[in-house]
Amino acid sequence: MGKGVLVIGGGIAGIQASLDLAEMGIDVHLVESKPSIGGRMSQLDKTFPTNDCSI
Amino acid sequence: MLDAGRHPRIELLAYSDVIDVSGSVGDFRVKVRRRARYVDEERCTACGLCVEKCPKKVPDEFDMTLRERRAIYLYFAQGIPAVMTIDPDACIYFEKGKCRVCERVCEREAIDFEQSERDVELDVGAIVVATGLDLFDPSQLVEYGYGRIPNVITGLEYERLINATGPTQGHLLRPSDGKLAERVGYVQCVGSRDTRYCNYCSSICCMCSIKDAMLAREHDPKSMSYIFHTDFRNAGKWFQRYQIRGEEDYGIEYIRGRVAEITEDDEHNPVLWFEDTRTGAVSSLTVDLVVLATAAVPSRGTAEIARLLTLEVDEHGFIRGNGRSGEETSVEGIFACGFCRGPADIPESVCQASAAAALAARIVVCRK
Repeated sequence: MGKGVLVIGGGIAGIQASLDLAEMGIDVHLVESKPSIGGRMSQLDKTFPTNDCSI
Repeated sequence: MLDAGRHPRIELLAYSDVIDVSGSVGDFRVKVRRRARYVDEERCTACGLCVEKCPKKVPDEFDMTLRERRAIYLYFAQGIPAVMTIDPDACIYFEKGKCRVCERVCEREAIDFEQSERDVELDVGAIVVATGLDLFDPSQLVEYGYGRIPNVITGLEYERLINATGPTQGHLLRPSDGKLAERVGYVQCVGSRDTRYCNYCSSICCMCSIKDAMLAREHDPKSMSYIFHTDFRNAGKWFQRYQIRGEEDYGIEYIRGRVAEITEDDEHNPVLWFEDTRTGAVSSLTVDLVVLATAAVPSRGTAEIARLLTLEVDEHGFIRGNGRSGEETSVEGIFACGFCRGPADIPESVCQASAAAALAARIVVCRK
């Protein structure tokens, strides 16, 4: 296995990309500027079109 | 979120910024600055004793400044990593040289005022950019009175109000007097599809407002919602059905027409002035609360990341694709996904993320 991957941004897209890469056995460095990951989606109550909880 | 925090192959560098990037595909060298939390991540259990005792209050950014947090704070309850952070711009110790109450009450000895920022260097084969979105500042549209009329709020502020963990425990209490808002007007295309500001459709706001109106009715059966829209652009899977359900099952009234102006009456009730484009009639509607569906724009950090990585952006600041795919940027080995590329909802962002991950994997697995 070669080098790892840098993911910049820990919102829903960055988290998904990181998990996909990690599950393929690739080392991931996930950088987020806020104190914790979660991004905009964590500010939402429910999401469309299913009205499921976002977190 | 929790899975990402726990995965043995994911190194989580939160409260950190990428400050320098060099090299090329297969061999990037990256410098990341880890800002000082003044809290030991290993020791802190986020028990909250320090927050209870911290004497300094500042507006809470996560709750869209609708409530206050302390100078030492947990960014949000379910956040990963679940550790406290001291905001040095707010902390009394950093301003006046004394206080350190948090340090005295912390049973885990996790407070560390000596902590300083530190840089870490990474060697990586590929980079995925997912810097997301910010919201357009609607105070620029003075005719809508945001910032001047207290009961005109943004969609994201509404999200925090209707959220059980938010500042009003999920009750839709309007800012001017804390009264339960029963009649809510939603104004679409605030900044979006507007040649003066964001000359594009933000794509998520029609569905967001329908969802917000449904939530209001679920919380309060007497709630009435009015959505003022240019035209609905609900093109995703099951979206049309969702729109119809909003009208039939949740009693939402859809009014086709862009709101021209918002004023307020003597009791701080916002008054929406509009032309119903189906009838041509100019009319007004008085409500308890107005929610502005603001345009979404690339996040503030996106421009700086694009500059560091020498990525091409379009006229709105969104990261450009390379013509072969949206995920491939103008620089080989660097991929982008989510709203930093342009308007995308959650399922679309997740698809793009998986595509970007697959493309990045192709580089690091095949080039040894």
